[in-house]
Amino acid sequence: MDLQTEVLIIGGGATGTGIARDLSLRGIPSLLVEKGDFTSGASGRNQGLLHSGGRYAVNDPDAARECIAENRILRRIAPHCIEPTDGLFVSLPEDGPEYRANFIRACGAAGIDTLPLSPREALAMEPRLSPRIIGAVQVPDGAIDPFTLVVENARDAESRGARILIHTEVTGLIRDGLRIAGVRVRDRITAEAFAIAATWVINATGAWANHILRMAGLQIGLALSKGSMLITNTRLSERVLNRCRPPASGDIIVPNDTVSILGTTSLRAEDPEHYEVTPAEVTFLVDELSRMIPDLKGERFTRAYAGVRPLLQSEGTNDDRTISRGFALIDHGSCSGPAGLVTITGGKLMTYRLMAEKTADFICERMGLHVPCSTHVQRLPGAGHGHTLKDRLLRLRRQTPAAKGEILCDCELVPREAVDAILREGKVRELQDILHRTRLAKGTCQGGFCVYRLLGLLNERSKADHRGGSNRILKGFLEERWKGIRPVLWGRSLKEEELIESIYKGLFNLTPAEPGGPGGGEA
Amino acid sequence: MTKEEKPVPLTKLPDVCVRCATCMAACPVSRVTPRFPGPKQAGPGAQRFRSAAEASVDDWIDLCTGCRLCDTVCPAGVPISEMNMMAKAKYLDERGRTFRDWLLVRSDLFGEMAARYSKIVNPLLKKKVVRWLLDALLRIDRRRALPAYEHPTFRRWFRTRQAPKGGGPEVAYFYGCFTNTNETDVGKAAVEILEAHGLKVVVPPQRCCGIPRLGVGDLRRAREMGRRNVDFLLRTVRGLDIVFSSTSCGLMLRHEYGPLLHLPGAEELARRLFDICEYLLGLHEEGKPAATFQPIPLKAAYFAPCHLRSLDIGLPALELLRRVPGLDVSLVEAECCGLGGLYGFKKEKFAIAEEIGKDLTEAIARMKPDIILTDCEGCRMQIRHLTGLKVLHPVQLLRDALERQGEEIHRVPVESFNYLG
Ligand SMILES: Cc1cc2nc3c(=O)[nH]c(=O)nc-3n(C[C@H](O)[C@H](O)[C@H](O)COP(=O)(O)OP(=O)(O)OC[C@H]3O[C@@H](n4cnc5c(N)ncnc54)[C@H](O)[C@@H]3O)c2cc1C
Ligand code: SF4
Ligand code: SF4
Repeated sequence: MDLQTEVLIIGGGATGTGIARDLSLRGIPSLLVEKGDFTSGASGRNQGLLHSGGRYAVNDPDAARECIAENRILRRIAPHCIEPTDGLFVSLPEDGPEYRANFIRACGAAGIDTLPLSPREALAMEPRLSPRIIGAVQVPDGAIDPFTLVVENARDAESRGARILIHTEVTGLIRDGLRIAGVRVRDRITAEAFAIAATWVINATGAWANHILRMAGLQIGLALSKGSMLITNTRLSERVLNRCRPPASGDIIVPNDTVSILGTTSLRAEDPEHYEVTPAEVTFLVDELSRMIPDLKGERFTRAYAGVRPLLQSEGTNDDRTISRGFALIDHGSCSGPAGLVTITGGKLMTYRLMAEKTADFICERMGLHVPCSTHVQRLPGAGHGHTLKDRLLRLRRQTPAAKGEILCDCELVPREAVDAILREGKVRELQDILHRTRLAKGTCQGGFCVYRLLGLLNERSKADHRGGSNRILKGFLEERWKGIRPVLWGRSLKEEELIESIYKGLFNLTPAEPGGPGGGEA
Repeated sequence: MTKEEKPVPLTKLPDVCVRCATCMAACPVSRVTPRFPGPKQAGPGAQRFRSAAEASVDDWIDLCTGCRLCDTVCPAGVPISEMNMMAKAKYLDERGRTFRDWLLVRSDLFGEMAARYSKIVNPLLKKKVVRWLLDALLRIDRRRALPAYEHPTFRRWFRTRQAPKGGGPEVAYFYGCFTNTNETDVGKAAVEILEAHGLKVVVPPQRCCGIPRLGVGDLRRAREMGRRNVDFLLRTVRGLDIVFSSTSCGLMLRHEYGPLLHLPGAEELARRLFDICEYLLGLHEEGKPAATFQPIPLKAAYFAPCHLRSLDIGLPALELLRRVPGLDVSLVEAECCGLGGLYGFKKEKFAIAEEIGKDLTEAIARMKPDIILTDCEGCRMQIRHLTGLKVLHPVQLLRDALERQGEEIHRVPVESFNYLG
């Protein structure tokens, strides 16, 4: 199978799918290839903070202005992916009042609304905050659901003519003299290899940018930084909590749906694929963040995970936090590389739309088209759909099988119907793909009690009987799950984990997975 | 059951739950209606979705009867029914309670009055048109018989009776509202059986225990009533043990005053509170002076109320009954009668209560007993309603089995209880 397209996009994260959508809205055909599922890169492994820009206001006013502008746009175009929680920048005695004063001034200059709060007011709003706080400032931070955001960008792009191939990896670039004329790809599930011819190739692979560039003998100055995060079983606060001090590690708590996400660390990484959360990072995050929420230590954590950020190198800096979190759009043709290859990397989830806009602007300009961007006004398809915790809780009202309301995942109240709808769409190919598209397995038991129900459903639809069937898929899932749970396995989580283990091993007689079969299977 | 060292705040209980779903198999309500998602989901599950700052949406929380069967099976020790109660309290605080609920929970206030005028009140309560009106206006289901009032009340009877002579160690008795105004014979039997065990009975001042208030999530008033009772009873318990014959009142006094309502003095009180059969059985087992029983050749079925299971004291009534010669008593294999106190009187919940009770009805039908015995007045009402059979408190039968000096007649179980069918 050989394909052909005008614009080929590599990478199905927020940036890649954002570009596909932007181009489709301008009527330019594109084809996107992603080696895993949509959110398998940093877009599915971040803290989910809808920045107000406050974090950057003092040190990087440009980034702050960019954030607040995108913040306002995303609230408009993707309201269903956003919880407008607001955020507090909390000053502890050791943070001092000076930074707070600077912070308020800098936010003002960047156009970020602030509301200074006394310790009493802040504690009334967030009772779990430390009584030691000397003040807080409210800003329009929020929480963003990157999974829905990315999947809907992709869905909208497809409905407007873009083509998308997931589980399809770029293995080489095709050169035609001084131009890049396409890519060689391999289907990671069927192992089928084929070529795709394209006029433009956009490298939107984030932390993998240099992997792609190396295929053309190129390289850009990119540092990789691993950030680890912890998830609690319940929400710790109603608002995002930040430390009011220069950005550092372990200073943000983001309420996200039923849980809170604590983060992050920042450690140099060599490889965007192989890394883990270390015990030292877990201890650091709990210690550091318990300055803001003192009784954090007794909290039940359900999972630890990490992501890798691509940070654009500028000369002579060692601390990754001072490296620009801005993005770069590089036309390799105009800097002594082959023509037709563009790299867009760096940035934040916050700026994915802006990154896509700049990339599409560039492509249009080169194509000689004058179609303006409209992603800042065109709402995403699901916008307007209820997504609040209350709406989800109400699902319990129609939970009988007869009413098609059977609940597959009790912790996150995911109805069978939601999974059925995804299967009907026919786009998912692996267990993880389903998990990326629902909150199934994201709750207290982390899928321990619901993934086998899901497999039952897949079996019913005979989707699980390829390549070893549901047993193999289940083992693959449990291994992945274990990686996330192991770092935070103490106290109350431990008790439940023992129960789950005894169910799988003692009742289901499941033996450890055979070597060489990681990941889920075809679903 | 693992006990956490210090009480876990309600919002953190989802952390304690291990998601095992054991409680789901125990809940009588979710067994019969899909409208109630069951303890795991309604309790720790839903808690992760609730926000203190926002109005509740989980209206199904009002369907929890508070039977506490879930709590008794939870391996992690999650006080699920308590979570539900708090959620119900918040929900009803926001939505407001109906006039009916306002009225029903005050039955202790008009009970005395109704008892005094029972000659007028009882026939009225029996009248079709009255029941129809109560149904239409107050949504008190007309298919449910209303308990009749008795005059004189137990309290008055106790005060005016000829107390037996002689000393003996004293014991205090908490009779509860229903015994006082609707089922005085239970109180009389309790007093007689205690006396037959060589005890001198005193009846301290007391009020409604407040459990009906919990049923409508009115914690503030439940606490008020509890506080008054603790004040009255503490003086008593500083010298005496207190026995109760109503399981639900006993559960409230012993388990809710402290852990749920945080009433000062509750722990001290709880230590000296006993279920009457638990207390009597203790006397028998410790070889203390105990009454002997004469044969009662009857086939009896004993039903263990949910709240008795929550008391976690085994089935002392059954053990005592087994000491009555000739009495062929066996345990009814059913979980819950379904009434849930005032719950089953409410029109919108009548069907659920009926459906839950089906198991019990069938189990009893299989046993074909002459008589049914159970400690809780709610269960007694429900079983009478479901089966039409005679249902007594175990102490009533024990009283009838007492071997009395100089008494020739073999007494058969009392007919004294007049029940409006
Ligand atoms: C720890 C951490 C916390 C963060 N927190 C926040 C936050 O709170 N708020 C915020 O706004 N931003 C945050 N970010 C930044 C944000 O997650 C990223 O900037 C954003 O997700 C990048 O999206 P992307 O599409 O550019 O890259 P990615 O999401 O990484 O997408 C790249 C994709 O390319 C695919 N790919 C790679 N190689 C190939 C190949 N050969 N063939 C085909 N496909 C390939 C990968 O599978 C991947 O899916 C955080 C990042 C990290 C690491
Ligand atoms: S108290 Fe009874 S009705 Fe309520 S959830 Fe528990 S078992 Fe069910
Ligand atoms: S029995 Fe207890 S631990 Fe198990 S699901 Fe129910 S509440 Fe949770």
